[in-house]
Amino acid sequence: MSIEAAASSLVVGVLLGGIFSLTALGLSLVLGVMRLVNLAHGEFLVLGAYAGYYLLTVTGIDPLLGLPLIAAAMGLVAAPLYRFLIQPLMGRGVEAPMMTMFGLSIVLQNLYTAAFSADTRSIETGYSALALNLGPVTVGLVYVMGFAISIGIVGLIHLLVSRTAFGRDLRASAQDAGAAAIVGVNVPRVQMLTFALGAACAGAGGTLSGLVNSFTPASGAAYLLNSFAVVVLGGLGSVLGTLLAGITVGILQSLGGVLFGDGYRDLVALLVFLAVLIVRPQGFMAGRG
Amino acid sequence: MAPMIDGGDQGLFLDRPALPSHALIDSLRSNNSGGLKMRRALVTIGLLVSLLLAAAGRAEEIVIGASLPLSGQLASFGAFQRWGYEHAVAEVNHAGGIAIGGKFLPVRLEIRDDKSDANISAGNVENLISRDHAAALLGSCTPALVSAGALVAERHRLPMVTGCDPRRAFTSAHPWKYVWDVFFDEAELAAAPFKALADAHVTTNRKVAILHDNGPDGQVVGGELWPELARTYGLTVVVSTSFPVDNTQFTSIIADAKAKGAEIMLVDAITPQAVAIRKQIATAGYHPRVLVIEKGAEPAQFGGGLGALADGVMVGGYWDSSFPYPGARDLLMAYERETHQRGSQHIADSYAATKVLLAALATAGSVGGEAINATIAKTNATFVVGPVRFDAQHFAPLPIVEVQWQQGRTVVVWPAKAATGKLLFPIP
Repeated sequence: MSIEAAASSLVVGVLLGGIFSLTALGLSLVLGVMRLVNLAHGEFLVLGAYAGYYLLTVTGIDPLLGLPLIAAAMGLVAAPLYRFLIQPLMGRGVEAPMMTMFGLSIVLQNLYTAAFSADTRSIETGYSALALNLGPVTVGLVYVMGFAISIGIVGLIHLLVSRTAFGRDLRASAQDAGAAAIVGVNVPRVQMLTFALGAACAGAGGTLSGLVNSFTPASGAAYLLNSFAVVVLGGLGSVLGTLLAGITVGILQSLGGVLFGDGYRDLVALLVFLAVLIVRPQGFMAGRG
Repeated sequence: MAPMIDGGDQGLFLDRPALPSHALIDSLRSNNSGGLKMRRALVTIGLLVSLLLAAAGRAEEIVIGASLPLSGQLASFGAFQRWGYEHAVAEVNHAGGIAIGGKFLPVRLEIRDDKSDANISAGNVENLISRDHAAALLGSCTPALVSAGALVAERHRLPMVTGCDPRRAFTSAHPWKYVWDVFFDEAELAAAPFKALADAHVTTNRKVAILHDNGPDGQVVGGELWPELARTYGLTVVVSTSFPVDNTQFTSIIADAKAKGAEIMLVDAITPQAVAIRKQIATAGYHPRVLVIEKGAEPAQFGGGLGALADGVMVGGYWDSSFPYPGARDLLMAYERETHQRGSQHIADSYAATKVLLAALATAGSVGGEAINATIAKTNATFVVGPVRFDAQHFAPLPIVEVQWQQGRTVVVWPAKAATGKLLFPIP
């Protein structure tokens, strides 16, 4: 492979990695704060992709301009899910909420098939097929836009978590929910808002994924696997760790593609993921950011 | 009231009228015994009635089973096949059913979703045979899913007619005795774009990039036939690589093909990958002059998902409503009228496979597997996809054409005698 081709692939990897960090952020927050393995996270991402698709095709609103709307709608959908499905199970071990989310993922997948059909979809805009030439490197404009938006959202979430009263409550709940409750933190409310925030991030990330790729009602499993790798590499609940891990996974996948072919992208990334699990199981930045 | 039952029974029957203990026990024993007998008798009668009704029900209809990918990666094919199967069965039922033993019986089509998973496909066929008592079967789609179900049918010696499984993948999977396939030959499909480009006298730098999935048909077309054909036609293969069927990123392969200046790109992939590849070709700033995407570019969702980006993409085809076969135009019109969606060639092979099976049932006049199977073997008629006659390997090949996406529709561009439009070259 030529140097130009390898460089283009690696830059695309970095840009995709930024989007990965956003798609994984919701999973990381929910896991870090609520100790909930959200096995329906992939389906939340798929719902975000459908939301972007229908926003464009039905209303004509550009999905990037509509991202705040999509994120807000996802948060509003997620809040009652937490209240009625998850909250009654909190404090009863990890298995019950996890299996509930697994069941929810199956229900959502079937609902999507019934509502949207099993057809392959892709969000097509005027800019989603444009290429950007940066010297010898060529990348899609939509990758650059997706990266910039993802970094922006991850940055905002970092500020929310580190600089606001809600962030303080969130961090307190993540460290010790019992102690946080004793000092006056409304832990169920914090958990509900965290779950909604996670779904909002998934909605935005799903829309970006739908812009750069195709999706079907069954795409959630692949999204979830990728997000798990990012979360474990970054450290549970670490916003900056998730950003770093997302970009790392993107670069590793591209390296795998450059060195061994695109068929080995995931293999290389997951091998490194397993190695990190052995050497540093707490992730890059557990407990920080 | 004081308890009247001795010892350990204190606390029971506190509100019942007093009875001597032995009388109460006898009464209970007698009542229980009678009640149990009665219940057992009722249950037995109920079961017998159910069995008789089930048997009678089975005798009053002919069950045909099918496992289809209605969800998952291959769902875009499954939806068309389902319609083809259901439409053929509905036509037969509308005409009064099929005569079995001198009595016309309706046909019931039992369809199960295999979720694009070969293991589920096999399980579905097992259930269709054992639980639904299917008299015969229709196939799934793609070699992996068809073979998984077909092997179960073969084990049960139950006839299955399928489409959606090309010759080499079908015939190499098993020496079939009860499974029959109406579809195209990979060798003809693989050669079609080469022949179409040669006949159109298009000019390129003769450099080819080949990308194919590692499924059975992808390996045959992309891994074996295309490299051979490229040599035969004097082309140079500068990139040739495979990828798993669930891959979503192809940026490295595309960047490599672009860097090596391939003006012809040949891809064999299912629809989700086909859409992703076309988008990633565009975002990489790569402009091959010829782009062939076998398999995945055929369903209407490819054009629907990509819009103008689909224009110019070529794909092998085995059916078009313009073909001079009985009912071809009517079939497409019926599909579009009922579903308000654009049709696909998959409605034709699924419809034809069902018609072959139903014709065999009618000719055999029996729901016995051996009788149906023997009749399928003798099929020699023209259906909506053209003449169907099975060879010794249980395969009936369909003629191949090359189609191209042009302004949101597929147009037959090769061979000249079947063409409904001119080849768009180079792609926009």
